[in-house]
Amino acid sequence: MSARRNANRIRGPQSALTDFLAANNISAQQIRDDYTRRQAQAQAAAEAEAAANGEPQDEQAALDEAAEAEAAIERSRKKRKAQQDVVAKIKKGKGKGKDQKKKKGKKGSDDEEDEGDSDFDLGKEMYKKKVPLPGQLENCELCEKRFTVTPYSKTGPDGGLLCTKCGKELAKDADAEKKPKKTGPTGRKRRKIESDRLDGKIQMGAKSLQQLCIEKVVHHATDVDDLGDLPQSLMERLGEIFTKERVMKPKQLKLFLRPDVDSITIHDCAYLESDDMKQIFAICPKIQKVALGNACQFKNESMEYMIEKAHDVTWLQLYAANLISEDMWTKYFKTHGRKLEVLKLQWLDAAFEDAQVEALPRYCPNLRRLKLELCRRLTPACLEPIAKLKKLQHLSLGYSTPTSNASIIKLITTIGPNLLTLSLPSFSDIDDTVLEAICISCQKLRKLRINGNDTMTDAGLSALFTNWANPPLRFIDFSATRDVDNSNPDGPDECIGLGPESFISMMMHSGSKLEDLNISSCRHITFDALTTVFNGSTQYPELKQIDVSFVSAVDTLVLAGLFKCAPMLRKVIAFGCFNIEDVVVPAGVVVIGVPRAQDAIEKFGGVGVDVDSAMGAMVDLFKRENGLGGYGEEMDVGVFG
Amino acid sequence: MAEKEPSNKSEYVTLVSNDGFEFVIKRSCANIAGTIERMLNPDHNFAEAVSGKCHFENINGVILEKVCEYLYYHEKNKDQKDVPDMEIPAELCLEVLMAADYLSV
Repeated sequence: MSARRNANRIRGPQSALTDFLAANNISAQQIRDDYTRRQAQAQAAAEAEAAANGEPQDEQAALDEAAEAEAAIERSRKKRKAQQDVVAKIKKGKGKGKDQKKKKGKKGSDDEEDEGDSDFDLGKEMYKKKVPLPGQLENCELCEKRFTVTPYSKTGPDGGLLCTKCGKELAKDADAEKKPKKTGPTGRKRRKIESDRLDGKIQMGAKSLQQLCIEKVVHHATDVDDLGDLPQSLMERLGEIFTKERVMKPKQLKLFLRPDVDSITIHDCAYLESDDMKQIFAICPKIQKVALGNACQFKNESMEYMIEKAHDVTWLQLYAANLISEDMWTKYFKTHGRKLEVLKLQWLDAAFEDAQVEALPRYCPNLRRLKLELCRRLTPACLEPIAKLKKLQHLSLGYSTPTSNASIIKLITTIGPNLLTLSLPSFSDIDDTVLEAICISCQKLRKLRINGNDTMTDAGLSALFTNWANPPLRFIDFSATRDVDNSNPDGPDECIGLGPESFISMMMHSGSKLEDLNISSCRHITFDALTTVFNGSTQYPELKQIDVSFVSAVDTLVLAGLFKCAPMLRKVIAFGCFNIEDVVVPAGVVVIGVPRAQDAIEKFGGVGVDVDSAMGAMVDLFKRENGLGGYGEEMDVGVFG
Repeated sequence: MAEKEPSNKSEYVTLVSNDGFEFVIKRSCANIAGTIERMLNPDHNFAEAVSGKCHFENINGVILEKVCEYLYYHEKNKDQKDVPDMEIPAELCLEVLMAADYLSV
């Protein structure tokens, strides 16, 4: 036995039962051996007894035994036949309800599995009530007609079999019941649609033909050999989509390089090597605008090559180009700085320092736009050279070292009068004195961002917007200007950050031209201030996008007022506004992040829902929930009257 | 590709490709394309506005057919959301893209 059990023996297929028994150390062989042994013993005992009783009985017993054995063989043969039939029926009877149900539970039932299971099923099957086998005749359960049972005969409602005609009708009914459940796209497709909406692709109707074609081109990015002479704007658009779909590889880069091209924009160069970067300047020496995001492989040698080949660069935008040394930066500014008008650098942790900023006013006097964000090595010392850039119109500055307000004020008073854009993210110490400086110095601003701040006060901001000679702003970002103190969530008595007073005066000042407003996490703005600003009658004709996430006072009423006040509104971001319920969104507007939306993370205006009908629907909802009086009535009169 | 009588404000207009194919399409569909809309606008005094017939010397019949298909597809789906994308054969898409840019659709 043990010799036969060794691992190398070749064996035929085993049933699941045998496997199971072997695993539990039960051997069929052993059981059989025991059985024969017992039989032999019993026989021996019987023979001994027969020997004692004499011969004739013995013969009789032997005869009886033989007959009995024959009967037993006959029985077992019949039984096996029956079993085989049942097995065959199970295998064939895939059309049968109960078998089908069982199969659905499994994943992709293959034949092997079937065979293995049939050992177990056999047992169950045999004890069930007798079902007519295929080929037999049976009366249909529903129409009582006699018909021939096939493996595809359906089971009726009470468990009996149905004739073909009734079976078909039953199947039709079942289908009709199933179908309505499938509404809308499922799986990946649905996910894609949701993600598109979060990206702001919210237009009604079909995509533009250009968009369709561009998507198709990206789909076949690897097969495209030549883009032909597409116009520059389309090339840029294609470049963006190639990047987004992560197909911007060295081969695809070549499609975008033509000697007559004067700008290259690649938002993610992760797949490109420093040689590919060189190729840009080798093929397009006339290039003026270089914008490379995630340009990790833009090394000293690439920079050297650019200095050598490309003499006309006016726009340099390099994100995460950490392999360029300080000396190389200075060398570049020295050689071609005079032409440079736009310089945007981000995510420079390793190299770019104050010394390089210091070189800017000397070598790059024509800079109009400067963006230095997330550059870890910069310190407040860089403010002084920036103040010497006389032509600067757009400034975005962000680094992590704490900066004194005095130096920021000095910067603003020097270059403020020319500035169109002022973006100071995460300067958490900026206080009201800086706001005063902005109020006095800046008269041309269109975009203002001061976020992540917990020092400015409501009164200071309010004073800025009340007395400011600056024309209305287009873009405002005061996100996360609030008091941060867990033990006192409502903030101190003197309101910190963008509060009720300053919110109202800000919208008074800039509401007429404002396009993009970000007040997320300005949690001291009160409900009253919000309803005063979005009162349903004051119009904000240009407002397209607003982020009110985590402004806890925003509720359905405020949102309804916002829809009414902003005819151009396209996108509302409202994460964490838990008071928004049952909002009915007008057509063309997308509301993202409403926490209680049951079906999706966003809400999207339906067909033909204009602002008024959306209002009506919302008022109805209110009335239904709050009774006819009270809140609903007040809303009717107060906001929409 | 049927014939039509040119008139100023007829319901249908004709687009002609550089290889001579004529596509008679609804004016409302044709106006989806900014360029065609401007060609057909009587205020702009183009010959096309009078004849109701636009010749495109840089677009061939195959591409123009696709463009017309798109214009109808756009018209049909204009008030719907989650519109399924129109199928554009891969070998045509760059040329269609050029045409789409020219016609501003």
